[in-house]
Amino acid sequence: MIRDITIGQYYMVDSPIHRLDPRLKLIATFVYVICLFAINDIYTYSFSILVLALVIAASKVPLKFIMRGIKSIFIIIILTAIINVLTTKGTHVLYELGWFTVTMEGVHMAAKMVIRLIMLIVSSSLLTLTTTPIQLTDGIEYLLKPFQKIGVPSHEIAMMMTIALRFIPTLLDETDKIMKAQQARGADFETGGLMQKAKSLVPILVPLFISAFRRADELAMAMEARCYHGGDNRTRMNTMVLQKTDYYAMAVVCLFVVCIFTIMLVM
Amino acid sequence: MGFMVKSKNLKYEYVRTFEVNNETRTETFLALNNVNIDIEKGSFIAILGHNGSGKSTFAKQINALITPTEGTLWVNGYDTKNEEFIWDIRQSAGMVFQNPDNQIVATIVEEDVAFGPENLGIEPSEIRKRVDSVLKAVGMSAFKKYAPSKLSGGQKQRIAIAGVLAMQPKCIVLDEPTAMLDPEGRKDVIETIKRLNREEGITTVLITHYMDETVEADKVIVIDNGVVAMEGTPREIFVQVDRLKSYGLDVPQVTEVAYNLRKQGINIPADILTPEEMVSAVCQLKSII
Repeated sequence: MIRDITIGQYYMVDSPIHRLDPRLKLIATFVYVICLFAINDIYTYSFSILVLALVIAASKVPLKFIMRGIKSIFIIIILTAIINVLTTKGTHVLYELGWFTVTMEGVHMAAKMVIRLIMLIVSSSLLTLTTTPIQLTDGIEYLLKPFQKIGVPSHEIAMMMTIALRFIPTLLDETDKIMKAQQARGADFETGGLMQKAKSLVPILVPLFISAFRRADELAMAMEARCYHGGDNRTRMNTMVLQKTDYYAMAVVCLFVVCIFTIMLVM
Repeated sequence: MGFMVKSKNLKYEYVRTFEVNNETRTETFLALNNVNIDIEKGSFIAILGHNGSGKSTFAKQINALITPTEGTLWVNGYDTKNEEFIWDIRQSAGMVFQNPDNQIVATIVEEDVAFGPENLGIEPSEIRKRVDSVLKAVGMSAFKKYAPSKLSGGQKQRIAIAGVLAMQPKCIVLDEPTAMLDPEGRKDVIETIKRLNREEGITTVLITHYMDETVEADKVIVIDNGVVAMEGTPREIFVQVDRLKSYGLDVPQVTEVAYNLRKQGINIPADILTPEEMVSAVCQLKSII
């Protein structure tokens, strides 16, 4: 059962957004997030929300899955709202609460921040929902390549991500086995307080770490035996080629940026 | 040179540390001692030996993962001590390890098979061709988009073999490839290995302690305590039941049966290796009676 887990939150469905080049999706998300920090008035906000809604509709990912990401940072959203409401200084005092004053400006600010946060989470989870972890890794490797000159190990980062993804199911399986083996010898993982539970994890973690190191050692040898010598002179079987739709998407991204700045200038 | 692998007075020493009474001690250990082994191109060689006999050490020598302390080892004509040829050696002699989980790198079967050729810097279109053809050769084409974690042990091991084949080696060294597999998976893997040796003419060095897998080998080499203890055709080796047992090894099941029958005074050939041979020998016996 533990084998069936999916890594990341990729939602498998065929849509134009899913088919886009991962590099383009990464850049588009990056650009969109930057724009989120630039926008400031009702017009640009509504325009960004509209665009995001259109992309979500095109991605065919059910809204339920997208909202899941927001749920996990719900507390942060609430805290941001409260802090903004209470600390923003302004002239239109609505309510006084001891040392704090709630102002009209504070409420505006809080609303802006909350919407911004939600859009941030939604846009970035849209990326992981429509792109497999492997595609993401390839995209990141490609995009980081220009930074190799200043010492960013782009190939190594990608290789580490790949190996991590590859070994998550293996190590989960192993954890399961170790837990069962310890339980068979009378280990108790269920009862006791927090400290007790934390202590009972030690007999799982020690064998797991030892085995992980052994695996790493063997894997390194197997990789060397297959002529692995880092990223130099290495080719890839699946090369990423931009399709016609990728160019259209690129135009859409540019158009979006231009629109945002035009609106900001005009209004 | 007609030899794929040739070793001359090969010695390998390493320092091992161990603990006795909370005290760390070190000692130099001679894992291989004056080993002279010649492996002909295109042949199927089985290397036998109990745990710690030095057979895996020899396998790693062929792939230049470790190099001789003394003596010389040539692989496909290259001296393994020469750093310059290390990638040529590893490309011409591929290696399959015991644990299928710890030698698969990528998260998708076809990507893993492509790993070797990618390291060699081969053109993407050529890699694609090779991956498709080797996956067909090991009978795993249907699984090319699968995650390795969803495959059985035998299937994973066949993927590992495909990954080596994609580098188009002249020789494959398999270090106990079936030790962690169930009987079904073991059969699949051994059949794949034998077929590749027969049809593609790839020199095969199979290291194992399952005697039944070695019956069809061209030559069997027994390594004990770092030295070559016996060398010969399977028939020559397996008749020496007592000697094999003194090295901590078994003989194929039917050979053992024949051996015990002879002990009981039944006149049956000593060099029976397969169940089929046993059947015909027993039938002949019956017709005499």
